[in-house]
Amino acid sequence: MNIRLHQKLINLIASIYPMAKRWLHQFHGGVFPKYNKSLSLRQPLRTSYVPKQLILPLQQHMGEAALPCVEVGEQVKKFQMIAQPAKGLSAPVHAPASGKIIAIEQRILPHASGLAEPCIVIEPDAKQDAIENALGITHKPKTIAEFKQLLLNAGIVGMGGAGFPTFAKLPDQPKKIKHLIINGAECEPFITCDDLLMQTHAPEIVRAALFVAELFDVEQVICGIETNKPQAIEAMRQACEDTRIRLEEVATVYPMGGQKQLTQELIGVEIPSQLHSIDIGVVMMNVATLRAITQAIELGQPLISRFVTVSGMGLKKPYNIEALLGTPFNELVELAQPEPKLNYPLLMGGPMMGFAVAHNDVPVIKTTNCILANPPETSDEPMACIRCGECAEACPVSLLPQQLYWHARAHEYDKTEQLKLFDCIECGCCSFVCPSHIPLVQYYRHAKAEIREIKQQAKLTEIAKQRFDAREARLERDKHEREAKLAAKKAAVKQQAADAPKVEKTAADAPKLSAREKAIQAAKARQKASQTTANEKDATAKKASRKDNSKPAETAPAQSANDKRQAAMQAAKARAAALKAQKTASTETPANLTEQAQASSVEDTPSNSASAEDKRKAAMDAAKAKAAERKKRQQESSQ
Amino acid sequence: MSMFAGILIFLGLALAFGLLLGYAAVRFRIEGNPLAEIIDKKLPQTQCGQCGYPGCKPYAEALAKGEAEVNLCIPGGEPTMIEIAEILQVEPKPMQAEATEPKPKMLAVIDEDICIGCVLCIKACPVDAIIGTTKMMHTVIEKECTGCELCVPVCPVDCIDMVMEKPNLKNWKWPEPKAAAERTE
Repeated sequence: MNIRLHQKLINLIASIYPMAKRWLHQFHGGVFPKYNKSLSLRQPLRTSYVPKQLILPLQQHMGEAALPCVEVGEQVKKFQMIAQPAKGLSAPVHAPASGKIIAIEQRILPHASGLAEPCIVIEPDAKQDAIENALGITHKPKTIAEFKQLLLNAGIVGMGGAGFPTFAKLPDQPKKIKHLIINGAECEPFITCDDLLMQTHAPEIVRAALFVAELFDVEQVICGIETNKPQAIEAMRQACEDTRIRLEEVATVYPMGGQKQLTQELIGVEIPSQLHSIDIGVVMMNVATLRAITQAIELGQPLISRFVTVSGMGLKKPYNIEALLGTPFNELVELAQPEPKLNYPLLMGGPMMGFAVAHNDVPVIKTTNCILANPPETSDEPMACIRCGECAEACPVSLLPQQLYWHARAHEYDKTEQLKLFDCIECGCCSFVCPSHIPLVQYYRHAKAEIREIKQQAKLTEIAKQRFDAREARLERDKHEREAKLAAKKAAVKQQAADAPKVEKTAADAPKLSAREKAIQAAKARQKASQTTANEKDATAKKASRKDNSKPAETAPAQSANDKRQAAMQAAKARAAALKAQKTASTETPANLTEQAQASSVEDTPSNSASAEDKRKAAMDAAKAKAAERKKRQQESSQ
Repeated sequence: MSMFAGILIFLGLALAFGLLLGYAAVRFRIEGNPLAEIIDKKLPQTQCGQCGYPGCKPYAEALAKGEAEVNLCIPGGEPTMIEIAEILQVEPKPMQAEATEPKPKMLAVIDEDICIGCVLCIKACPVDAIIGTTKMMHTVIEKECTGCELCVPVCPVDCIDMVMEKPNLKNWKWPEPKAAAERTE
């Protein structure tokens, strides 16, 4: 109650000096936009809306996209895993309703880029087939490893907006967490989903927080809720009674719900630049994440739905809904009776940090806390910076937005980094207070992306250089090796050359020795030549006979089949005649005999008509003839 | 007398420092050319050879020796040219018309149905980013490709295409607000 009194006093002062409101909180800056939270609180919470199609992006979280483990046409049950986590930082996706997988294709994501990425599309049926205890739990997890595995299996990610897989942000050892902070601040205008969740499911949130606190041996559990949610505070107070959870009401200021801001507000410690909250022993969990943990550890249910605020100035009946993941935005907005017609892009998230979606049929994902239908207003044109310094006053991280703006615009990225651009939480306070309507945050986001790309590029360049150098070295080595081989070969040749005189001598001796033989061979050749000329007369006669034999055989193919037989008969006769002639010839001159013996052997082989004995005889005769011839010649030469 | 003393003292000092400097030049001699190293760091390391030198390092060495023009690096474009000119302290030279803007990064993609496995592209790749062997299909290791285009002309069947990197959630960047920049200038 103390804070309420304090607040009243400050509000009094604020009527004279508006920025006195900033005295109510610990962190620097902050802004006070119009909250419009009551809009969506007028209608009761809706549940059990099942759309015609559920579109489930494989990437609903930070890290790697999940890998689909179902096929098109497959029937799936509620709670069934349809995409398994990839290696590393990832989270699975589960079917929010029973139905048929009708497509796995590229659909536009609820992302500022408006890019299309792979999604699993389910056509829900009315059967409501569900897998009881889909995560297969038999008891509450007893070890941290078991608990983290369960969180991964359940696909639980930070549901406050970042979408960081919850298992990955928890430490492996107990006692590493000093302060567990339950984030129920919900500082963005219009959004009331966490408010309503706390009103309706406070015990579940508290149970999960106590479970985590016990498992990790946490010193202190604090729950921070902004003062503008009295009903939620009341519900949580009841649930926290007789527990170790300390409920804290915090001032209503944007961005109280930021991790760094709420930490500073509740434990008075600023998270140092470039460090994560876990480094100072703080873990913060959104109320929605805690509720999802309860569902996983108590019922074995994976994350398939979440509370979503459907609100905005363009809706007649804004409401909150426990929507199935994958429900298209426009279907939910139609339920709220848009006025005027929905012909403008919807926003995902609040008016401060939200972004316009590329198409209104994008689905609700794990990080969608609000769908905002604000009809486009005539936006003020950005004007030149007048250096008023309002942005520096408003910045909750105590940066110098104006300086950052100049450097970001001039693409002096090293200077923006020196000014701690990466500590910027992109809350949009600076843009909100800027009297010149300069979209400051967009400059910072662009600069951050550029710097990341430059760093990535530098890494790639370094790799390319290494690879180039390695290749050069390899080529050089190959060249040397080749040269070495060549040199070795040359050396071997030289060695041979050195050994050569001996070899050459022997080689030279050989012809000398065989000089006589050579002469003999030459003489033989000459004799043969003279022989052939001498025998030419007999040869012509023989050839004539052979021609007679071969002629019918040659013409035979041209004639008919009958003729062929006749020709074959004739050929056989001719061969027989030739054989006879041979036998008679053997008694003739020896020179003639050799000729005929050769001829017969040529003619006989194809027909095989001559017997082996004849052959032998012929060969013998030929040998005899040769011997006789030699004698004759020796006599001639001696003469 | 005092004048001579002064002259002598200064002569002595000059001699002493001269010897010291001479000794230091020999003793602390730097191997390689540090200027070439600095320039090499600024080059895009695509190893494309479009400058006429066989890689970024040879070009950097030629620049350091003053043998090359500063405006030859086509992938680096004008920003790189200006950086080099600043390092060398020479006048920046205009780039060729089509190379003023640094090119967006392209990746080589082999049409695997057409590839005949001739290994010519493998030999041409300066960063060994193509794998494959004789008469086997080749493919480009996407994350190692520098987009130098050296493999494109050597392919006998024209099966290598240079494609833009597809935008995805990983490489998407917030666009720079344009309207405001124009108005405030």
